[in-house]
Amino acid sequence: MTARRIAILSDAVANRIAAGEVVERPASVVKELLENAVDAGASAVAVEIEAGGKTLVRVADDGEGMGREDALLALDRHATSKIRSADDLVGVATFGFRGEALPSIAAVSRFELETASAGEAVGTRIAAAGGAVTALEDRVRQPGTTVTVRALFFNTPARRKFLRSTRSEVRACTEVVTTLALARPDLGLTLLADGHAVVEALPAGSLADRAAQLFGQQLAATLLPVDHASGSVTVRGLVQRPAEAAASGRMAYLFVNGRPFRDPFLVRAAERGYRATVPPGVRPSLVLRLEVPAGDVDVNVHPAKLEVRFRDRYAVEAAVEAAVHEALGPLAASAPYSAGSAMPWEHRAVAPPASAGLARDLFGAAGGDDAAPSEGEAPAPEGAAAEPPIHASELRVLAQLHQTYLLVEAPDGLLIVDQHSAHERILYERAMRTLTEGAAGGQKLLFPLTITLAPAELEAVEANGDLLGQLGYEAEPFGGSALIVHATPAPHARFDAERCLREVVADLAGGRFGGLHNRVERFASTFACRAAIKAGQPLTTAEMNELVQRLMAAELPAHDVHGRPTIVQLPLLELHRRFGRR
Amino acid sequence: MKFTITREKLQEGLLRVGPSIPAKTTLPVLSNILIEAKKDGLHLSGTDLDIAVATTVAAEVDEEGAITLPAKKLTEIARELPASPVRVTSAGEQRAQVECGKSKFRLLGLPRDEFPSFPHVKFDTPWRIAAKDLHKLISHVAFATSTEESRPILNGVLWDLRKDRMRMVATNGHRLAKMDVPLAEEGGAAQAELIVPPKALEQIRRLFAPDDLVEIAKSENHLGFRSEGTQVFTRLIEGPYPNYEQVIPRENDKFATVDKIAMASALRRMSIVASDQTHRIRLSFGGGTLKFSVQTPDLGEAQDEMAVTYEGDALEIGFNAAYLLEILKYMPTDEVRFTFKAPERATTAEPVGWDDAASYMCLVMPLRLVD
Repeated sequence: MTARRIAILSDAVANRIAAGEVVERPASVVKELLENAVDAGASAVAVEIEAGGKTLVRVADDGEGMGREDALLALDRHATSKIRSADDLVGVATFGFRGEALPSIAAVSRFELETASAGEAVGTRIAAAGGAVTALEDRVRQPGTTVTVRALFFNTPARRKFLRSTRSEVRACTEVVTTLALARPDLGLTLLADGHAVVEALPAGSLADRAAQLFGQQLAATLLPVDHASGSVTVRGLVQRPAEAAASGRMAYLFVNGRPFRDPFLVRAAERGYRATVPPGVRPSLVLRLEVPAGDVDVNVHPAKLEVRFRDRYAVEAAVEAAVHEALGPLAASAPYSAGSAMPWEHRAVAPPASAGLARDLFGAAGGDDAAPSEGEAPAPEGAAAEPPIHASELRVLAQLHQTYLLVEAPDGLLIVDQHSAHERILYERAMRTLTEGAAGGQKLLFPLTITLAPAELEAVEANGDLLGQLGYEAEPFGGSALIVHATPAPHARFDAERCLREVVADLAGGRFGGLHNRVERFASTFACRAAIKAGQPLTTAEMNELVQRLMAAELPAHDVHGRPTIVQLPLLELHRRFGRR
Repeated sequence: MKFTITREKLQEGLLRVGPSIPAKTTLPVLSNILIEAKKDGLHLSGTDLDIAVATTVAAEVDEEGAITLPAKKLTEIARELPASPVRVTSAGEQRAQVECGKSKFRLLGLPRDEFPSFPHVKFDTPWRIAAKDLHKLISHVAFATSTEESRPILNGVLWDLRKDRMRMVATNGHRLAKMDVPLAEEGGAAQAELIVPPKALEQIRRLFAPDDLVEIAKSENHLGFRSEGTQVFTRLIEGPYPNYEQVIPRENDKFATVDKIAMASALRRMSIVASDQTHRIRLSFGGGTLKFSVQTPDLGEAQDEMAVTYEGDALEIGFNAAYLLEILKYMPTDEVRFTFKAPERATTAEPVGWDDAASYMCLVMPLRLVD
């Protein structure tokens, strides 16, 4: 009989191995301890780090605390108060549940835990080094728990070497605290790094207030509220106004049932909700909080719980897209006159075109995947879909400014509408409808147009012949480099069919609008841009009224296809303020 | 300058010239009316630089002279004056005093030198045309001009003058209207093809009474009209006008005679559901009926039908309902005859049984049907 070569590892070794997975850097410690604090029902948590957490991480909460026996047990692996059986894993509502965090952290640091539960007269202090308990004593303190982690990785030098610069570790910790702060706006949270307050968030009344605490008032003012439910999925949060989205520095925070997670596909679904309102390359910031039935999401797929798995991915993506789309719809989503102005317009309910229309083209385009929409998602009634989100009757066109902008009086202030951008938005939506739902026959011309084109332009005509035809252009080659046009679209009375065709073809050949991901969108926005009335075009009162009414009936009235605003709003309150009335 | 005029004559003169004065202008003197007192009466003129109107009204002139005064204010004053003779006296180049009964006004104007001079048109060998013929041409044709500004020629009305007839044609490239009126008496001047802004034609229709005989003369690039002391000058649009005769179909072999009022009301009903972009409606001719139908995604559909007299193979054709309605509106008779060739070819419309020496036709290009 040979000697046994396989042995069960001692707890100390096992904890150190687990620590490799769970405790990667100081930020992981902050995350685990913070989540424990929240799970313990804390209403205020103070985090303190030194040297990026390399020498000290301290998390103090005012939660329910632990008794002495619990406190000792907490240092054992898979010891947890959060679940009892495998069944509890389904729909687990607490952040933690594996029972790995404390023993893992304790295994690689000089660890100290002070805790007192509300009922006890005397609290407990436990100290451990490298996982071995070195002290256990009474400690008088307020109810709650304070965990202090010193000299992280003191006994795993290899891991210690991989720590980044202090600044980088501080940034990672800040990110952890910020994320949790967004997950729980009601929580008071502070982060002290080497004595400096990096995050100071008092309990906030709303996510918007919390965003202002964390990111500053200026950025928070560019965020629009999202509130959308389709089927069993609810999406709330904040998304950035398209005109203010930048190419860099975006923030994207996703939460499901209060738990942060990462999912590039959901972020992309949210971006789809922007449609053609943001130019290619620009990334709007967003904070989205999803609520789904506990059974529809599996959070136990990643050791640090950074990823989750949805039972019905399509429905979740569709809901996110619809939610973002809907948030951009109301007038309140239009750009304010100055960064500080409040937005007095109430968040009006947007017509459900949103869910009905969207679900249709989303799944229609996916190639007949009918299974996707969940049962609860009844199609919106026809009547509701036709109703514009804002009653155009409440708006009064006052004047045309410099033959470029329309001045419109609204119940709560003044709208300044860019006539070209507005018309472009209207024509874009129309063109998209025409291109996706069938075709528009063109108006036959009495006098056919002959247009001479460059070779690249002729190629563009050939490549987009189907789309040109669907919109109503009827053209055929005529000699070497000429095109003869027999029919054209006639979208409005001031439409110059020849110039529009020339410019569309030149744009297509020159690769303008090249970034939009889909050929139809690219074509529709090119056409809309070129077919729309231009700045400098005088308009009659009737035309201005019509333009504003059509704009208000559009799906996303406040944003044009280049990511610019179509409407700038000057709230009455802002006017009052400027004239010293308030 | 010093003259006395009756309130009525002053109002009449201002009324004639007023509409030629632009409401908004960057050149201040254009908001003024030019007043010239001469031995033969009072000359009033106004212009927006494209069109100029001048008229003469009887007045007792004591001292010749000229001044420009704000047209709007002067018109408002004339309207409110008591029924007494109006005495106007100038004081210097830019002040005038208006007295009537006990009312007294001092108005600030601008010197007459600042007022643009009128185009010089010689009425040596004019055409002489009855105003009622002009009215007929203008009111049936001018509507069809284009409002879109990329092809200025189509913004004008072609006026083709021959020895024995004159013709007006207007089109926006989608539809066209054309009318011929025979000329009883020799016009006198040579034949000509003129492209006239419809705004000028509107002034002519407004200023000349049907019984007037209008003298018309042309200079390099202006056209002048005059009758009974009133003159209108307009800039001409430079041609050439597109070859419209080539697109008037000669081979249409399907004919429908319809009741104008019934068709127009069916078209209006269909228009409610038609797309606000194209106003597309579908017409189906066959047997003795004309069926209308319209289908607009996101909105709905509608059908209608009416009895017609139809000769030829069955036909389905699409139109912009607004164009058809417009043509029907200008048709002078209760019955209208349409001719067709094919769904993508030009359609014509003519009055049936029109008791008039003039001949009239409209043409409209179809909208392509897709499905």
